Amino acid sequence: MRKTFVFFVLLQVVLLIGIIAYRQYWVATGERILLKTTPVDPRDIFRGDYVSLRYEISSLNLDELAVKQSFKGNEKVYVILQKNPDGTFAAKSVSKEPPTGKKFIQGRALYEILSSKWEIVLKDDSENLHRLKPQWFSSFKQGDRVLFCLDERGNILAVHQESAGYKPECRGGQPLSGIVEEIKEKKFRSLNVEYGIENYFVEEGKGMAIESSRNARELRVEVSLRSDGKGIITGLFVNGKLVK
Amino acid sequence: MPPHREDLGFLRKLEQESELWLKEGMILPEQRKRILARYRLLKKADEKAGPGKLITTLSILGSILVGVGVILFIASNWSGIPNWGRLSIVFFSLLISYGLGFYLRYEAKNYPKVGASLILLGSLIFGAGMFLIAQIYHITVHYPNGPLLWGLFVLPLAYLLRFRSLLSLALLVLLIWLGMEAHLQTSHHSYLQSVTMVPLFCVAGIALWGIGLMHRDWRSLRAISSPYIFIGTLITFFAGFVLTFDLYALGFEPDFPLIFYAGIVVLFLAGMILRCYPEGKEKGWIPETLGLVILMAIVIYLSMASPNISPMRARAGLRLFLNALFGLEIFGLIILGFIRRYSIYVNVGLLFFALDVVARYFDLFWELLPRSLFFIAGGLLLLFGGILLERKRRRILASFNIKEADE
Repeated sequence: MRKTFVFFVLLQVVLLIGIIAYRQYWVATGERILLKTTPVDPRDIFRGDYVSLRYEISSLNLDELAVKQSFKGNEKVYVILQKNPDGTFAAKSVSKEPPTGKKFIQGRALYEILSSKWEIVLKDDSENLHRLKPQWFSSFKQGDRVLFCLDERGNILAVHQESAGYKPECRGGQPLSGIVEEIKEKKFRSLNVEYGIENYFVEEGKGMAIESSRNARELRVEVSLRSDGKGIITGLFVNGKLVK
Repeated sequence: MPPHREDLGFLRKLEQESELWLKEGMILPEQRKRILARYRLLKKADEKAGPGKLITTLSILGSILVGVGVILFIASNWSGIPNWGRLSIVFFSLLISYGLGFYLRYEAKNYPKVGASLILLGSLIFGAGMFLIAQIYHITVHYPNGPLLWGLFVLPLAYLLRFRSLLSLALLVLLIWLGMEAHLQTSHHSYLQSVTMVPLFCVAGIALWGIGLMHRDWRSLRAISSPYIFIGTLITFFAGFVLTFDLYALGFEPDFPLIFYAGIVVLFLAGMILRCYPEGKEKGWIPETLGLVILMAIVIYLSMASPNISPMRARAGLRLFLNALFGLEIFGLIILGFIRRYSIYVNVGLLFFALDVVARYFDLFWELLPRSLFFIAGGLLLLFGGILLERKRRRILASFNIKEADE
């Protein structure tokens, strides 16, 4: 029995070492790329001891990429990447088959929906006009009085409706309130993709700083790509500096 | 044969019973003294150091606390410890607790209970290690392979050592895997939008229960049958209970991957076939086995044939059927528990009977009665129900003893 016991315990140890070796090999041999993150809906921020990350390539505008195919939930997809002048990578196209001779990242389609791009004109209390591009605006209409919470770079963190009896406040960021003058909505086919690199684990209490820079779009994530396009996070850069 | 180490309940009962035998003239005072002397040492140990069950409970709680402590230590000193340091802590504590546990239980044999708990601790650290590695490499937390590997690698140890604690751990972890993996494979994004998980877990519960019964009939596996049966019956009945509510507006998942059902059915049927082999089976095993097979077939059929039942009448009919089925299951379980004198069955059956009565009372009468009357009637129903169940339970359990004495 002793021998069998030792054998089973060693199996567990070998499994753990195997996982480590596999991941370490991937980190060491994969091709490194940088990805831009985008703000996450502020209601779904920092949970426990990891940061949820969303990338520009997490939501693909199929119309803009001129992709005619449609995708089902849970389907494997290959997103072809193209280098931006700033060194990060953006999506150039997406397909169901692994492309040859091109740089790509493998992901899993979550769902394809008809999304909207919004462009609104807001008249503030001193009659100045502001052009804003919120990610969600479907619950508001022309003539509504709304409050935008903006970060220092002008990104929208939250939108609230104001009324005579209800004056919301911004929990973070600068307030900008006014009357909605004009709403432009442009519909497009959007594909949400998950790459398995959406969580970054940090020490307890360190998440908030990373969260706020993620929402301010200064956060870059370094990913190591295997030859089949699967990615693993190898580093996090805030303002170009590596976070440890 | 030496007296069984842990059976203090038996000793207490023996003292009472032997007094009765003495009064009835079945044994002589001298004989009673000799019988009791055989177990006296055990009583002494019990009085001085507390009952064996207490030791087991304390050591298991201790193991869990140490396991949690190791995880918290690593988590709270995240940046203070380099990766290799964190991993060394895991490997070192894993090997130490397995090694020391094995030594204390099987080699030195002086602290078998503590040894067993240390081995459980080893298995907990193994799982923690897997999650730690996932964290170091930023693998998504919802990744279901973690619990799958954890469960599968603990299972052989549970069988080798015949540990119920390790088996319970492995089964619970594998059930968590099942839920995570099934959720990942379905296109819905919210558990709340679909009832798919309920029949899936019902089927998994029936399979565990059936496999447990197979273990119970095979003498060499009997020692580890109870986690299967207990977890299996609880899940089966809990899922069955959930299905008695009007959930069908939500609908089943139409594109649910059938591979889960296929895998579970294969395991279950293998268990049922193996159950037929050993000699000397318990009473009522044929209706029990058939009942489980039929129940599983019904649940699978319903979840596949009725993804979206739209007409209200069809939904009401289905609900009525599932309520009747649930009632039948409870009835069958209590009857089986009664003829077999198996207290897990009786207790689980009565528990879900009580839950069902309360749930149907709220479902059906909430709208019909004025509020005050509703509460008074409800209170009285619960009180009488309590008395009735308590009496019934006592009578059933007592009849086990009487029957045993008769034979």
